[in-house]
Amino acid sequence: MRKLRALWLRLCGLLSVEQTDSDIDAEIESHVDLGTDDGIRSGLSPEEARRQALIRLGRVEQTRQAWRERRGLPWLETLLKDLRFGLRVFAKNPGFTSVAVLTLALGIGVTSAVFTVAEAALLRSWPAKAPERLVKIVSTTPEGEDPMFSYPDYVDLAAQSRSLAGVLAYSRHEKMLRVGTESHLVLDDVVSPNYFSVLGIDAQRGRMFSAGSQTGSEPGVVISDLLWRRVFNADALLVGKQIRLTDRNYTVLGIAPPRFRGLQRGVPTDLWLPTHAESAAYQNDELTDRKMRDFELLGRLQPGVTAAEAKVELDTVGRRLAQAYPAIDKARNVALVSERERLRETLVPFFLLMTAVGLVLLICCGNVAGLVMARSDARSKEIAMRMALGAGRLRLVRQLLTESLLLASMGAALGLLLAVELLRLQPVLMPPSEVELGLDLHLDASVVVFTLAITVFAVLVFGLTPALRASKLSYVSVLKDERAGTGGGVRRWTLRNALVLSEIALSVILLTAAGLVTRSLLFSRAIPLGFDQEKHLIFFDLTPGLAGYNPQRSVALFEQLQDRTAALPGVRHASVARRVLLSDSGGGLARRVSIPGVVLPQGQISIPIKFNAVAGNYFQTMGTRLREGRTFNSADNPSTSSVVVVSQTMAERFWPGQEVLGRQIQIEGKACQIVGVVDDAKINDVHEVPEPYMYLPLAQMPSEEGTLIVEAEGNTEALTASIRREIHSVDANVPVGVRTVDYLMQQAFWSDRMAAGFVGALGLVGIFLGAVGLYGVIAFTVNRRSQEIGIRMALGAERKDIVRMVVGQGLKLAVVGTAAGLVASFFAMRLMSTMLYGVKPTDPIAFAGSALLVVLVALLAAWIPARRAAAVDPMQALRAE
Amino acid sequence: MSEKADVWQGTLTLMVLRTLETMGSLHGYGLARRIEQTSGDLLQVNYGTLYPALLKLEQEGYIRSSWGVSDNNRRAKYYELTKAGQKQAKKAAAEWEQTTAILARFLAPAEEA
Repeated sequence: MRKLRALWLRLCGLLSVEQTDSDIDAEIESHVDLGTDDGIRSGLSPEEARRQALIRLGRVEQTRQAWRERRGLPWLETLLKDLRFGLRVFAKNPGFTSVAVLTLALGIGVTSAVFTVAEAALLRSWPAKAPERLVKIVSTTPEGEDPMFSYPDYVDLAAQSRSLAGVLAYSRHEKMLRVGTESHLVLDDVVSPNYFSVLGIDAQRGRMFSAGSQTGSEPGVVISDLLWRRVFNADALLVGKQIRLTDRNYTVLGIAPPRFRGLQRGVPTDLWLPTHAESAAYQNDELTDRKMRDFELLGRLQPGVTAAEAKVELDTVGRRLAQAYPAIDKARNVALVSERERLRETLVPFFLLMTAVGLVLLICCGNVAGLVMARSDARSKEIAMRMALGAGRLRLVRQLLTESLLLASMGAALGLLLAVELLRLQPVLMPPSEVELGLDLHLDASVVVFTLAITVFAVLVFGLTPALRASKLSYVSVLKDERAGTGGGVRRWTLRNALVLSEIALSVILLTAAGLVTRSLLFSRAIPLGFDQEKHLIFFDLTPGLAGYNPQRSVALFEQLQDRTAALPGVRHASVARRVLLSDSGGGLARRVSIPGVVLPQGQISIPIKFNAVAGNYFQTMGTRLREGRTFNSADNPSTSSVVVVSQTMAERFWPGQEVLGRQIQIEGKACQIVGVVDDAKINDVHEVPEPYMYLPLAQMPSEEGTLIVEAEGNTEALTASIRREIHSVDANVPVGVRTVDYLMQQAFWSDRMAAGFVGALGLVGIFLGAVGLYGVIAFTVNRRSQEIGIRMALGAERKDIVRMVVGQGLKLAVVGTAAGLVASFFAMRLMSTMLYGVKPTDPIAFAGSALLVVLVALLAAWIPARRAAAVDPMQALRAE
Repeated sequence: MSEKADVWQGTLTLMVLRTLETMGSLHGYGLARRIEQTSGDLLQVNYGTLYPALLKLEQEGYIRSSWGVSDNNRRAKYYELTKAGQKQAKKAAAEWEQTTAILARFLAPAEEA
């Protein structure tokens, strides 16, 4: 306590230097006066008495110094002085400081952000109490590991296992959540009733369902914190209320805690339904059929039981299951993945990722070290002067290290800000989707500690070497202006050149890749999609099947909605289709077709061909061009003969150069007549190769799901609302989802755009780092050669000659680096050929563009120090001799 | 070496505490003179260490100081013990006595050997 109190007072003393000095001065003054009085009393003359008193007092300045040191904290005072000095030095060199801090911030920010993502995606354990005791239960089959189990198998496993304190099961589904007139697509997990108790998670409001409440009288649901805030505006009274999911009411039992987003990384669960409520709701086979493997299992080890012991026991249980149900579970065995095993598997990708990012950080540090070195070289005179004036070597190293630390802390602070901003980008980078995707990313203590570690590392890498080197200077020779330590300098010189060369080469590679991907994206944009993307199209996805409609009634509903919508003002066309183009929902909708008179590959009788069922003037609405024949009309109904419209590719594949109209094909054994041929359209993906495709009238191929497609004349938003009202007024129970053509296009081009953006961003980072590295090297040599430059100018060289000479040196490096980068790109880009559309991996424009950009930036980086070199005053430079 | 011994490191604090304990309030000069007198002028107080030592004691809360006026009308800073200081003076004295007693056993002529 006493020590703390003294420390506190000393800290206070630190802050009031002036006042304390006058205090000790007054005390010393009074001391001398009292001594003089004593002297006078003992018979001395006043002058002699004062002289004696001063002699007795001894060295006043030492007393004062000792007092001052006791008064404050000398080391802290020195540190503050160093910091103040460092800040002043930085303020005088804003260019150097901002480039160095930015470079560091970039390295630290990117590293921290990647660490956070990698931690969330790979390292983070189950969001549960004591997650290290949880084990994942999987099946091993001859084809490999399968995480899915049927519910009956789960029930048997859970009942027979003694080594597990509890086993939970969960299965992912989608539902339509209805709040007022709004429908939301939500992801639900159907879970075993003990789900939350095995995980050890309590509700933040209300309660979780428990294993005891097996009655199933009232279906209950637990909703996520995210959904509660997003849809219900964090309604405090929601617990106990009913919500409508698809076609049933559920009572909200509780709200999960904020950090719990379900067990699937990246795809947060919106709500949890217990299996018993679901079995009451549907008499579905999911819970009783041993063949339907829909559930993933997670077990909690019994206290004192190791994962290895549980593994042995589960193996026996699995064998017993395989014996009991040989038809289904034969050759399947049950295994278990402990948390430690899972972590061990993810550590490899984690470290690979971190090594790659660590290299970037290392380059950043190398660059900053280069900058600091260039500057400490320029400051060598100042340092030599300070050493000549008596500054200790240790004191100087400390001063230089403090400056490095200051630089690193500024970089770290800015880097953390950058990391936070990068993590905020997540929603923008996620693929467009009707459900919320994304990892729970936040900078937590581990990331801050990580950043601190990086900072210390950075200080050591870029601070120590220049500091030690600078303080090792022989100040006599520096003051006499002999360049010291050239022997060691040469080696470092080549090392730094190599670093800069590889940075430049790397940025050329990255920029070439970015150029290729961007050009590929531009070409992709021009791919004919088979429909008109410029139209104002709105898609209303309807699932009357979920509201109890059968296919025939659904078609009637679709036709009714289509007619009512078409009558609305602002609607150009309205039609219905079972499928929307460019939707990546599997594309599995196909029918087996046999074609009379055409020999199919491998002598098959029939082949599967993908199809769409459409109603109304679908082709006009979408803008799919009719090549010949006719489209469907109201005469094509169940009572008339079956008709089909085929795609251009289908026509050319089976009847090349022949008349197609009027031909018969067998679809699932039913004869259909071809009445029209339309342009090819992109079914799932922009880059797909056109394949045979056919269209059937919806009336002849009824379906209980479909999409109302509306072409608006202008403003889609107001129209969307009024069409929603229209659908609601016809039947409020039919779930509706809305998409626009923009959304469709965004989704279709998402991966291309991400690739271009990501590689482009990397390229820009690369070019920035390369420029900083080049600048450091050139600035370093300009400092070294300032005398030579002075002599040249004295001998008649003009400023522009000097600029040319220095820039030329930079250009030489840049050209060599760029050439190396281009050669490397030539080989590296072949790996990308599958990702590219419309451009060759050797596209000259991408290659030339990246080379030009890199050389231009390099010229700029060299020009800045060149200008400074040209500003050398020849008289000054020569006088220094 | 001068004929007068310097005050050993660490014992100055004890001397200051004891002197203030017996004398009550004293200024720095008086304190130094008093310590020298008590030692029978065998010790010479180094002022370079006296004032920092006083500051340390004050920071630790054993003494407090205030500016006052001396007998012959000189402004001077007076020091006196706080409650904690009085306790500390007793404790430090006891510890010192124990230390010297132990040392004395080593320095005493070996009798029993």
